[in-house]
Amino acid sequence: MLKGLSSNILNRLNTGVLILDNDFNILLWNRFLEIHANKNNKQVLGESVFSVFPELPKKWFERKLSSVVQLKTQSFCSWEQRHHLFELAHSRPITTDSDFMAQNCTFLPIEVEGEVARICILIEDVTDVCHYQTQLKKTLQELALSNCIDGLTQAFNRKHWEECLAAEFSRARRYNYNLALVMLDLDQFKLLNDTYGHQGGDKVLIDTAKIINEHVRMGDLFGRYGGEEFAVILPNTDLAGAKEVAERIRQIIANNSICYQEQSISVTVSLGVAVIDEQDSHYEDLISRTDIALYRAKNTGRNRVCLAKEHPDT
Amino acid sequence: MNAFDLTEDQQDCLQELINVAMGQASDQLARYLDTFVYLKVPNIEQVKAEHLFDTLNQDSKATAVVSQGFFGYEGIRGEALLMYQPQDSHRLTDLLGYEADELSFDEQIIDLSSILTTTFLNVFASQIDNQMSYSAPRLLSANLSDVNEHLQQQAFNWDLALKIRISYQVTDYAFNCDMVLLIPEEAIINIKTVIDRILAEF
Repeated sequence: MLKGLSSNILNRLNTGVLILDNDFNILLWNRFLEIHANKNNKQVLGESVFSVFPELPKKWFERKLSSVVQLKTQSFCSWEQRHHLFELAHSRPITTDSDFMAQNCTFLPIEVEGEVARICILIEDVTDVCHYQTQLKKTLQELALSNCIDGLTQAFNRKHWEECLAAEFSRARRYNYNLALVMLDLDQFKLLNDTYGHQGGDKVLIDTAKIINEHVRMGDLFGRYGGEEFAVILPNTDLAGAKEVAERIRQIIANNSICYQEQSISVTVSLGVAVIDEQDSHYEDLISRTDIALYRAKNTGRNRVCLAKEHPDT
Repeated sequence: MNAFDLTEDQQDCLQELINVAMGQASDQLARYLDTFVYLKVPNIEQVKAEHLFDTLNQDSKATAVVSQGFFGYEGIRGEALLMYQPQDSHRLTDLLGYEADELSFDEQIIDLSSILTTTFLNVFASQIDNQMSYSAPRLLSANLSDVNEHLQQQAFNWDLALKIRISYQVTDYAFNCDMVLLIPEEAIINIKTVIDRILAEF
């Protein structure tokens, strides 16, 4: 009676059970596999597992099973490394995009008189887990990205940009690389806000950020420093190179007209440029020298690039 | 001395059981992998939950850690951490006997971890008339800083664990890794009971 009961339970398990002999012939399988493989007993029992499931990676499978036989120990195969071994239908055909059942497989040795005579393979349907885990990963990636981006301008936000600068600063120090910084501020932004309203001001910020982003070089790191102030980190760049980038940004912004409610808005920017200096002991020193240059650009008439003095003390 | 400390006799007995298991495991592994596998004399010590992070760091600058739970009769249970170093990964597919493109690096170390852990613990279990079951091995992370972050975020529900560290060396493939078995407190009491029974039989 107990024997009947266990075979009854075997056939009601939501786990596939497959038993092979040492020559990879199928000796037994349960109803779960019969249904999900959509094959009948006649096609399967006594046949080689490789002819019933031709999708199996034969060499890999043989080596995997040889470890079970030789070491008399169980072995595993997770969906995270191999989505599936057997091409089986699964329980979420409508609400997931998975073609086949994602599987966790366990290979168990069955010993008869001290030798492994059979191998039992347990196949669990983890399509559900796989689906949600994949979604979670995607969401975490998006979250990590949105954590670094300024919502309005899509440039790096202040926090992330500053982390980048800190990293670039210590890299430059360690390997004796050059490092330049450009900081820029929209000229008379308050007046612009007063004239066109805050939505007009926002449009200017969005369009300006977009055009700068299109014109910085690969590897340059562009962020919104605050309000109407932006900043670009230029790794491996000397003062002359940084000045060129700054001048290019100044010109394209001055020549660009921004369309807002059928009006054309023209803006200019003032820019400060500095390169890493032996006396800069923190990245903040580089920022403050760039900032001083930027304010000089503002005070000497705007819409211009000013270079930081190399040694402010001398 | 606390309830989880091993007496000198218990420590010696456990050391001896492990030595025998290491010998047999290394023999089985050598035959399966077709190369000599050296297992270095283990170090058995207690570790406090708050120091787990430091002790893992001290042992090696691992770049990948695989965890596998084990559980047997009489409440013998714990977690095995297999710790790999970056320079150890070049010839793993060769060592495991797979074709080069057949499996990813993650799969290689997970496979190897499972082989090393279960082979050793199966022999160890048979020494104490026990039988082990295992959870599926999981890659905790591909580098130690992730593992540390993970461990530091945990509020452990144990204070003390018995830590057994065994180093594996496969000289032909210039490969090393460490297996760290961690047995939480209530399982230490259970293992002490088993050891006492073995000691009484002699």
